[in-house]
Amino acid sequence: MTSCAAFRQYVAAYVDGELVGEDRAGFEAHLGTCPSCRRLLEEEQTAAALLRSASPLHEAPAALRRRVDRILPPRRRELPLRPWLTVAAAAAALAATGLAARALWGPRPPADARPADVASAFAAMAADTHLRYARGQLPLEVQSDRPEQVSGWFSGRVPFHLALPDYPVGPGEQKFYRLEGGRLVSFRSDYAAYVAYRMDDQPISLLVTSASTVTPEGGSLVRSGTLTFHVESVAGLKVISWSDNGLTYALASDVAVEASRSCLVCHGSAAERRKVEPFPRRPGL
Amino acid sequence: MSDAEGGRASGGDGEEFRREAVACLDGLYGFALSLTRDRLIAEDVVQETYVRALAAHRKAAPGENMRAWLFTILHNVWRNERRRKQPTALEDAPGLADRLVAPGGDPERALERNETQDLVRGAIARLPESFREVVVLRCVEGFSYRDLANILGCPAGTVMSRLARARTILRRDLARPAAARNGAA
Repeated sequence: MTSCAAFRQYVAAYVDGELVGEDRAGFEAHLGTCPSCRRLLEEEQTAAALLRSASPLHEAPAALRRRVDRILPPRRRELPLRPWLTVAAAAAALAATGLAARALWGPRPPADARPADVASAFAAMAADTHLRYARGQLPLEVQSDRPEQVSGWFSGRVPFHLALPDYPVGPGEQKFYRLEGGRLVSFRSDYAAYVAYRMDDQPISLLVTSASTVTPEGGSLVRSGTLTFHVESVAGLKVISWSDNGLTYALASDVAVEASRSCLVCHGSAAERRKVEPFPRRPGL
Repeated sequence: MSDAEGGRASGGDGEEFRREAVACLDGLYGFALSLTRDRLIAEDVVQETYVRALAAHRKAAPGENMRAWLFTILHNVWRNERRRKQPTALEDAPGLADRLVAPGGDPERALERNETQDLVRGAIARLPESFREVVVLRCVEGFSYRDLANILGCPAGTVMSRLARARTILRRDLARPAAARNGAA
C-alpha cells in the first residue's frame, strides 16, 4: 500500500487540476480512507482559493497605463465624452428658464412622449444601478476623484474608449461635485462603465456603453443640435439618455437634485457654466 | 528576442492586439512587481515587454496564447535586465515585504486596500524569487504547468517541485496570526 507521504506530493497538482489518469484515481481512492490527507487537501484548497481571489495582485498605475497606451497601435477612433457636456448644458438651460422641472419631470407628459412606465432598457439599467449604488450595494472598483485615473482604469476593461472630462475650477471657486470612482456593470452580453459622482451628498450616476450594444428609446424626446435626448422618470429617478459618436450614455439622479445642479458635474466652473447652450423651447410647455 | 517570444505572437488586427494586450496589463505589472520588487523597475519591464511584443507582432504568424506569450516576454526582459545588473541586496532587505504590501503612493488607493490582497501580497513577497514566480503565474494568474514551463524556460518537473514547496510555505504563512506574520517580515 502506498504511503501518505507518496500521496501528499500529488496534493498541489490535484488542486491545480493537473493530476490525471491513474495517479488521480489512486489519489482520490486514498482520500476516501485517509482523514489526514483530506485535511491537507482542504487546507491547500483554501489557500489556493485565497490566492486566486487576490487577482489582480496589483493594479497597473495610471502613468504606466498611459505609457502602454502610447506604445500600442493607435485606436481607429477616439470617442471623447462630448455629448454629456451638451446634455448637461441643455438641462441647465432648461432649468434656468424655470421650466425644467415641469417640462422634464412634471406629471404632464409632452405630446411625443411614450408612456411614463416604458423605460428604455438602458435607462432602466441606469436607474437600477444608481439605486443599488445609493444603497451601498454596489462597491466601486476604482475609487478616485481624478478623471484621468478613473478613465485609465476603464481602459482595456470596456470595449470602448472613455475619457471623463475634468474642468478645473477658477480662482476662488468651489467644486460643486466630486467624482467618486467607477466600476464595471454587466449589460446584456458586455460590460458597461458605471461612473459615480456626488453633489451635496446626493449621488449622480453615469452609465456608458457602446452604441452598438444599445440605443436610447422612449421618454420625452428633446433635440439639441444633432443630438436627441431621451428624458424619462424611472423608479422615481430622472434619467437622461442619448447616443453620440459611437457611445450611449445615461445620466441618473434623484428627483431631489435639481436638473441644473446635476449639470455642474461637467460645468463646475463659472467659465464652463457660460458655455451652456440655449435649449430649444418646446411649444405648449 | 528568443524563439519562444517570436513563435507565439498573435498576429492579425491591430485593434484586436491592442485589446488583448491592454487586458493583460494588470497581470503583467503584478508579475513584474513580484520579480523586481521595485515599482519603477517593474514599470520599465512592463513597458519593454510591450515594445518587444509589438515588434514581434508585426512580423509573427498568428498564435494562440497571447497572454502566456506576453508573460514569457516579460520574464525574458527581466532575466536580461538582471543579467546586466548585479543582483542587489533587495532580495532579503528587512521590511521589503511590507513595503510591497502597500498598493501605491496614492493615499486614496491606500485607503481602498483590500485585506485579502494585502495578506496574499505579503505572503508572496516573503517567498524566495524562484517560488514567487511560480506562485504568481499558477496561483494568481491561473496558468497551466505547461505554460509555466514555457514562460520560465524550465522543465515541468522543476515547476511542480517549486510549486509544491512554495505552497507548503504559503499555507503555513497564511494560516499564521497577523502579528506573527508581521514579526517575520
